[in-house]
Amino acid sequence: MSTHSGAAPMITVSHLAKQFSVTKGGRGLLGALRGLVAPERVTVNAVDDVSFNIGRGEIVGYLGPNGAGKSTTLKMLCGLLVPTRGEVLVNGQIPWKDRRKYVANIGAVFGQRTTLWWDLPVIESFNLLRHIYGIKPERFRRNFDAFRALLELDPFLSTPVRSLSLGQRMRADICAALLHDPSIVFLDEPTIGLDVVAKEHIRQFVLTINRERGTTVILTTHDLSDVEKLCERVMIIDHGKLLFDDRLAALMQRFGGKRALLVEFTQAYDDVRVAGAEVVSHDALRATYHFDRAETSAADLIARVSARFGVADLAVREPDIEETVRRIYEEKLL
Amino acid sequence: MPLVLRLIGVQLRAQMQYRASFWIDVFGTFVLQITGIVAILGGLSTFGAVAGWTISEVAFLYGMVEISFGLMDMIFSGFDPPWFSNLVKQGQFTQLLLRPVGLWTQVLGSAFLLRRLARVGQGALVLVVALSQLQVEWTLVKALYLPLVIAGQVMCYGALFVVGSAIVFWTIDSVEAINILTYGSTEMTMYPMTVYPDWLRNIFTFAVPTIFMNYFPALYFLGKPDPLGFPAFAPFIAPFVGVAMLIFSIGVFRIGLRHYQGTGT
Repeated sequence: MSTHSGAAPMITVSHLAKQFSVTKGGRGLLGALRGLVAPERVTVNAVDDVSFNIGRGEIVGYLGPNGAGKSTTLKMLCGLLVPTRGEVLVNGQIPWKDRRKYVANIGAVFGQRTTLWWDLPVIESFNLLRHIYGIKPERFRRNFDAFRALLELDPFLSTPVRSLSLGQRMRADICAALLHDPSIVFLDEPTIGLDVVAKEHIRQFVLTINRERGTTVILTTHDLSDVEKLCERVMIIDHGKLLFDDRLAALMQRFGGKRALLVEFTQAYDDVRVAGAEVVSHDALRATYHFDRAETSAADLIARVSARFGVADLAVREPDIEETVRRIYEEKLL
Repeated sequence: MPLVLRLIGVQLRAQMQYRASFWIDVFGTFVLQITGIVAILGGLSTFGAVAGWTISEVAFLYGMVEISFGLMDMIFSGFDPPWFSNLVKQGQFTQLLLRPVGLWTQVLGSAFLLRRLARVGQGALVLVVALSQLQVEWTLVKALYLPLVIAGQVMCYGALFVVGSAIVFWTIDSVEAINILTYGSTEMTMYPMTVYPDWLRNIFTFAVPTIFMNYFPALYFLGKPDPLGFPAFAPFIAPFVGVAMLIFSIGVFRIGLRHYQGTGT
């Protein structure tokens, strides 16, 4: 199922599982007291037998509803958590062994948190990171000059981090995560809470470093435009299980539902029905048809429509990914 | 420059951004500490002496602890359990784990409260006054040993902070209880150990061996006999006990970290 470019995968995950023992809160005062004395513990499978490979230079979207196991997986890939079972190899290393050596080669941004020094001007945080990662001055200069231009950091380089807007902070954090040229970067909700312009900035940046440096990118997001614009490949996890792992196009094909054909007529028709499509809206000179790609091709439908009516203009609209993924979660299509 | 100094430098610069609040803090701490001394002295003067110790002798114990604890509190600011539990709670600790340098460097570099010097200054003041009242027979060995005892105490109290912070890995919301361990154990060492009941003294001899950190060295400096009948080397092991406690605390911290990485938060 998995698609990887290159011979040796960048990430190999096999039968990964993480169980948490969670204290179950009792009800009422008595329950609370019992919880203090003899807490009732339940085992939760946060990640349950997950396996996948990711190739060098891929950008993979890791999706799932809240509490599905995305962050837990990411934390294990970053070496922050040790799994209950299973194996992980990233760039030939086991993430939770030899922490210092491992994290020197990865970059990570956990959206809600900053790695920067709160009271320091942004530029000084970058300088500290240069020392922390032992980045050679010329390499630092080269990367920093490239990133500051791409992310437009200049206006706030001497502003203390605590005074940055969320979008500025995120741009600075993403810069910070990449200054040491990691071969792989983990982005946990990198666009959360940002406005459209800031989101676009970050997407462009991720695409650029992926293309120019071949950086492998794994990102979790709730914003499906991120996925649409960045990821060729999508993994969907729910209740700790990996439900889907394939190209984004395949996801749309399987679950994408109906495509839409928008038609503008040269004259008004009373009845605009055609075989193989459903009329969802019709007024004076316009009509919208929905059709299933499995039953009718766009070409056939267009031919049918143009044979019967005078057509001024046509457009085919692909199904919306946001809608698709929501349907997968809600209707449990997988 | 070592990274830890670079990180501490950052902390100092940040504190200097709020110069006024820094000095208000220093002054406030100083006044608070002096009030504390007055209260203690008031209490002691009612009795005249505690377990055969004069007020000046107790002041010697007190001054030593204040100097070492103040120094420790400044150097180990990052391991102060309330601070450390915030690091863990707010996820900053995760960020430390993602950087390719040692955790000790980073936690020690995460905070450095210069204002703790107020406490050191106040302790030094008390110590000097106490010594001026006492007829200590100074020898070269005593003069050389005094800073070693202070270094040992710094390590001992630092170890208490580190163990306290390690406990955060198991129970993140027990900072109050941890404070009893750290501050309680410290305050115990401000008084002659013979004022405590046997069971309590045994705890601070065998479980948390702080008896060797201040009480026994003080017997030696002040030329007082040992009423407890310990071996003659008892006053001289303070630096070693300090090192041992610090090593022990590093072990506990490692176990805590392993637990944390197994369970997450």
